[in-house]
Amino acid sequence: MTITLAIPSKGRLKDQSLEILAKAGLPVSLPSDDRKYRARIEGRDDIEIAFLSASEISGEIGQGTVDLGITGEDLLRENVADWESKAAIEVRLGFGPADVVVAVPESWLDVDTMADLDDVAAEFRQRHGRRLRIATKYWRLTQQFFSQLHGIQVYRIVESLGATEGAPAAGSADVIVDITTTGSTLRANRLKILSDGVILRSQACLVRALRTRSPAGEALAGSVAAQIAQTLRG
Amino acid sequence: MTSRYPAIAPDILALFAARNAATVDVPVLQPADPFLDMAGEDLRRRIFLTESETGAALCLRPEFTIPVCLDHIASQAGTPRRYSYLGEVFRQRREGGNEFFQAGIEDLGDKDTASADARSIADAHALLSLALSGVPLTVTLGDQSVFEAVLAALGLPRGWRMRLARAFGSAEQLAAALADLANPPKNGALPEAVATLVADGDQERLAEHIAADMADAGLSATAGRTPQEIARRLVEKAELRSVRLSSEAFSALETFLAIDVPLNEAAAALEQFAKSAGVSLGSALANFSARVDAVEAEGLPLASIRYDAAFGRPLDYYTGLVFEISAGDGARPLAGGGRYDRLLTLLGAKSPIPGVGFSVWLDRIETMRGGKA
Repeated sequence: MTITLAIPSKGRLKDQSLEILAKAGLPVSLPSDDRKYRARIEGRDDIEIAFLSASEISGEIGQGTVDLGITGEDLLRENVADWESKAAIEVRLGFGPADVVVAVPESWLDVDTMADLDDVAAEFRQRHGRRLRIATKYWRLTQQFFSQLHGIQVYRIVESLGATEGAPAAGSADVIVDITTTGSTLRANRLKILSDGVILRSQACLVRALRTRSPAGEALAGSVAAQIAQTLRG
Repeated sequence: MTSRYPAIAPDILALFAARNAATVDVPVLQPADPFLDMAGEDLRRRIFLTESETGAALCLRPEFTIPVCLDHIASQAGTPRRYSYLGEVFRQRREGGNEFFQAGIEDLGDKDTASADARSIADAHALLSLALSGVPLTVTLGDQSVFEAVLAALGLPRGWRMRLARAFGSAEQLAAALADLANPPKNGALPEAVATLVADGDQERLAEHIAADMADAGLSATAGRTPQEIARRLVEKAELRSVRLSSEAFSALETFLAIDVPLNEAAAALEQFAKSAGVSLGSALANFSARVDAVEAEGLPLASIRYDAAFGRPLDYYTGLVFEISAGDGARPLAGGGRYDRLLTLLGAKSPIPGVGFSVWLDRIETMRGGKA
């Protein structure tokens, strides 16, 4: 019986994940060749480590192709439809903070809340012959927040795969939904976060896929998750 | 007619012909933008989207009104004109199949809105009576324009009227909007120079200030919101903050929204409301009464039609009449429709074309008839 634990394959998320695992008594022995995407934990032949991008990890968890994974809550909620039926957040890990926020140009002095944005969106078409455009790579989170939570229907999402903060100045969108940690990129682009515009305060999480496993596999996944969670509480 | 069509289809087509509505056939594959523009982004997760080789967003038609109107615009046909359709629509649904049949009539360009409205209700009623003979039908009717007239008559500022009009038909959103109006949230702190200009109501200098700000941030002053637009709304918002919805106006709104009477008593109920609230509903009430007369002239039983002042349908494009018809128990509507006088212009018609129409859920009817859904 082995289970797969997926961890981010690069950057600070990788380092911090390895650190937490080491603290939990699950030190990953890194492969000598760092282009290799599989690794083991010393003395634990029942755990296989897979290095994947954080975004892929959320997808694999949603598919149930890995048992445990460390990924951002934003990615889980964005990439997995009906995620609560497919995955459970075992523990929030206290690193990789990222707020998903609604930001508008600073020069929109009259727009401070989502209710303001609702007003602006409603009249936009009449004034400009097109709908208000929101640039984001968070389609699902944006729709849920605008349409379902705030009842704002009349806007269009334009997909943005990078440098979303630049979209208003580039003229490709009016408003953005993006992640921010310190807000400095938003400020540099002269954007401001709406006072009730924080969609999600995300951080790295240990996530368990809710697929059906053998009782032994279930117990193993549970105990590894508990071991990591224990470290954070201790 | 292939076997996947509901058994009732030939009868419905005969009814359409008898009621002078020419059948129109629109492609299953449609450009996605008009639907997303009109119904909103939330529709995206409920339709089947695909892409052409060149990257154009396409979808399987999720309904007929927009394709029929687009087809009308493209064909440059004259008006008035009545189009009927019967075919499959495609939606991602949690319950029921993803492809199901709808039938309906779109009535475009008739300037006599009262009789066109009445005819649309009568069309839908006739279709359901044909398909479900002997089943008692309940019609629920609402009117967006009466609600808007009430808001105007109560002297509410423009910004509030727009906000409340948008919430029409959703009890939840209306309650939220009214709560906000009773206690408007404060704007964030403004820079001192701006605050002074706002207090003075100096839109011109505000706009200059905002224009300089936008230029500095590299924002185009014309591609999106303009400095003038922002200045105007900023001043308007500051003015709204000092106004409170009077308790009289608040209770008048509540009284209005609680009106729920048989259609033959509706005009009197609205008159009574206007009198007690001390307001005049002007042409909205006259149009309403004319429609009631027209509905009666169509031979529909007024006592089985309810006017519910709070009833609206959650689509941005309805401008006046909205209605639903359900079987006696009324769990799910079997037909829904309404007037959409702005839709054709929004879809690109050169001059305004009034329109009213309805659509019938044939899958629900088949279920009731005991056939397969």
